[in-house]
Amino acid sequence: MDNEILIEVRDLMFEYPDGTRALQDIDLDIYSNQFIAFIGQNGSGKTTLAKCLNGLLKPTQGHVKIDDLDTRTKGATKKIVTKVGYVFQNPDHQLFNNTVYKEIAYGPRNIGLKEDEVKVRVEEAAQVCGVEFKLFEEHPFFLTKGLRQRVAIASILAMRPRTIIVDEPTTGQDLRQSIEVMNFLRDLWEKEGHTIIIITHEMPIVAQYSKRTIVLGQGRILMDASTPEVFAEADLLAQTYVKPPQITRLAQAMQRYGFSRNILTVSEMYNAWLEAIARRA
Amino acid sequence: MLAVSVRDLGWKYSGRNRFAIEHIDLDIEVNTFVSIVGPNEHGKTTLVSCIKGIIPSSFHGVWRGKVEIFGEDVRTMSAQRLAKEIGFVFADPEAQFTSMTVEEELVFGLENIGLPLGEISGRLEWVSQITMIEDLLDKSPYEISGGQKQRVAIASVLAMKPRILILDEPTSMLDPLGKDFIFEIMTNIKKETDLTVIVVEHNIEEVAPLSDMMVLIYNGGIAKAAPPAEFFENSEFLEEHGILPPQATMFFDRLKRTNNYTGPLPISFEEATQKMEALLPARV
Amino acid sequence: MAQAGVISQRMRRTLLGTVPISSPLYALHPVTRFFTLLFLSVISMFIDLPEINIALLIFIFLYMKWARVDISGLRIYMPLTVTVAIFMFSVSIGFPSKRPEFHTFEFLGITFYLESLYWTFASYWRLMAMLFGTIQYFSTNRERETLVAIRSLKAPFVITYFFSLALRSAGMFMEDLRTIREAERARGLDETSLSLRDRAKLYAMYMIPLFTLAIRRTDEISNALYARGYTISGKIEGGGKRSDYILTHYQIRNIDIALMVAMGLIFIAIAVARIGFGVFTVEESPFRQFLIQLVSGS
Repeated sequence: MDNEILIEVRDLMFEYPDGTRALQDIDLDIYSNQFIAFIGQNGSGKTTLAKCLNGLLKPTQGHVKIDDLDTRTKGATKKIVTKVGYVFQNPDHQLFNNTVYKEIAYGPRNIGLKEDEVKVRVEEAAQVCGVEFKLFEEHPFFLTKGLRQRVAIASILAMRPRTIIVDEPTTGQDLRQSIEVMNFLRDLWEKEGHTIIIITHEMPIVAQYSKRTIVLGQGRILMDASTPEVFAEADLLAQTYVKPPQITRLAQAMQRYGFSRNILTVSEMYNAWLEAIARRA
Repeated sequence: MLAVSVRDLGWKYSGRNRFAIEHIDLDIEVNTFVSIVGPNEHGKTTLVSCIKGIIPSSFHGVWRGKVEIFGEDVRTMSAQRLAKEIGFVFADPEAQFTSMTVEEELVFGLENIGLPLGEISGRLEWVSQITMIEDLLDKSPYEISGGQKQRVAIASVLAMKPRILILDEPTSMLDPLGKDFIFEIMTNIKKETDLTVIVVEHNIEEVAPLSDMMVLIYNGGIAKAAPPAEFFENSEFLEEHGILPPQATMFFDRLKRTNNYTGPLPISFEEATQKMEALLPARV
Repeated sequence: MAQAGVISQRMRRTLLGTVPISSPLYALHPVTRFFTLLFLSVISMFIDLPEINIALLIFIFLYMKWARVDISGLRIYMPLTVTVAIFMFSVSIGFPSKRPEFHTFEFLGITFYLESLYWTFASYWRLMAMLFGTIQYFSTNRERETLVAIRSLKAPFVITYFFSLALRSAGMFMEDLRTIREAERARGLDETSLSLRDRAKLYAMYMIPLFTLAIRRTDEISNALYARGYTISGKIEGGGKRSDYILTHYQIRNIDIALMVAMGLIFIAIAVARIGFGVFTVEESPFRQFLIQLVSGS
């Protein structure tokens, strides 16, 4: 599979105006068509890093290049928004138009697209996100939380960014809602070819959906590898107050019976158990 | 005497067509820990709001049935009495913090119920210890994290020494470290006090080992209510109703159904490791 | 993290900026410090003389330095002071009060009316003294101290509580505003490239999510208050007075009473002198006399 580099980060250091150093020595390549998770405790820098990836925050030192465009370039914001989308955790922070149509149309209109092209984009994004066309004239304030989240995502998708960053997609959601959102993001990755980056605290979600996991702690990248490899390193994860999923920890506790350290699901555990029993026989 | 007795409870928010909850019967014994689980918007918050008295006092709608707290009907109790008997912690740590320092926040409720000054400092000490916020007393809300604010929220309701404590999704907005603190506090409360605790939670894995009873609310009614081991017995039923048992429990359920294990399902991580050790022959 | 409570070892964050962590000023009761706000921000209303107001301003700066305020942090007020100066003096020079008895002089082809200009000069320094009289208070007091001051003055509980809630809401509001601006930038909104008119529209636009969030939060806050047994009247069931625990941390000492009385007396003295006897008016300014002589002499 041909993977191009969508975002390149080199020697990134970021300091807030009051002097707090949030990121240090970050080197990172985000490739096309990946499903990535950023994990780490609050204050580890994962949200700061994500905001550097879409130009919301500019590096204090080092650089972030999106498709070879340095995020510090003047006027880069308008270009970046067509390449990297960022969905905030609370949709109420991002919705400010008085109809669903205008909300989704805002981005395309803002970059100067003609009205018929805008319409195409809006309908396309609404369709992918499961926002019914009959809702177009509704005021977003009166929709349910789940729908507002989808309108927010649609309004980002209308810009057709290749990379989409989603902050805490499943926080506060129940099982069915979480599965819905995550399956939707997975389809965006698998079927539509986007690169998805999720910032999350929910390890079972990471285990189930993300292929590449980046662990942040104290402003540095502690590990950047495939998800099974990451969850095998329980000690490293403990440094940033992250615990692997319960089933992974159970397997790790049974290591001396031959269970591997990177079991991610109940099925895998069951198979591993069968193997362990077979070894006894 | 029962701490909480719910009989044929129903509530319909005005402006909606359906009842949010209907025909709820629930008995909660004193000094027990009850978890209320289930999908969102199916009635969990409505149920606990009715127990606390927020419904019907702050909402318009239709009430059916009865809720009694230690034998008294909640609808006859004033806001101040309810605050003394039942503590309530919400999901959003920001909205609950209404003062400018932690200490003020803790003392607010106590001043509301007219506690004399001498007793206030004693309560402050006890409550800061049990929620581990002793060094935060002087801080303002924007100097502390969401998890710390939530601990302050629990402390400020505990300070009123209620007999019942209700927590509505206390950890849903917190990071793992924040969540761990809250579950640790719940464990402390269970061990060190004789409070009756009712928790609405999505994090079934953490809350199951603490629970004496688990209640599944689905479509405005109780789909299942049982002690944890019994509660997790039919994982398909649970999945159809929008929740999953803890992963370790599900694993043992698999073993059970493939005849590889008999016995009660483990509820906690520790139990699961113990049982696995027992199943797998010892190896050097 | 962006919001560290302790910015450095010396300063601590508040709603409006920072205050020193320790300061000799903190030996005084908050209500005394509150009096300095009332005193220093209002007293210049009675004093026209720029000599006195400038001296007062210098005094305020020395006072802040003594109280360990971060003087360099006050730089953020520079643009304000400069803008106000430019505005006031432009208007004064462009639209002077042209009384016949006023002395005039020419400079770069413009006719300046000295008394009119001087009046603006005096007003400007008066304004600066009042401004920094207010700033010194907020640079040395946390919100909690203001609340303690108001409560010590025995304001009704409802008022102090609403004030406290307003402060807290303001904090949440500013936090929301910050997040919303970020969220909009993530939607492609580039504030710096907008015209003035568009920026005004933009700020109107921010109101929408701010209101949405506020409305949603109102429910939660009122439920949280209800759950804590709070009633609007602030009265206790079964009678009895509401105790005030926080006030027990602060003692009013003799020096507090002395200072408050002193400030009260000086205030009254100056007010009476000005209103009753016309002292401190601009005509008495020695510098003004000097300038008039300079202009009429040449």
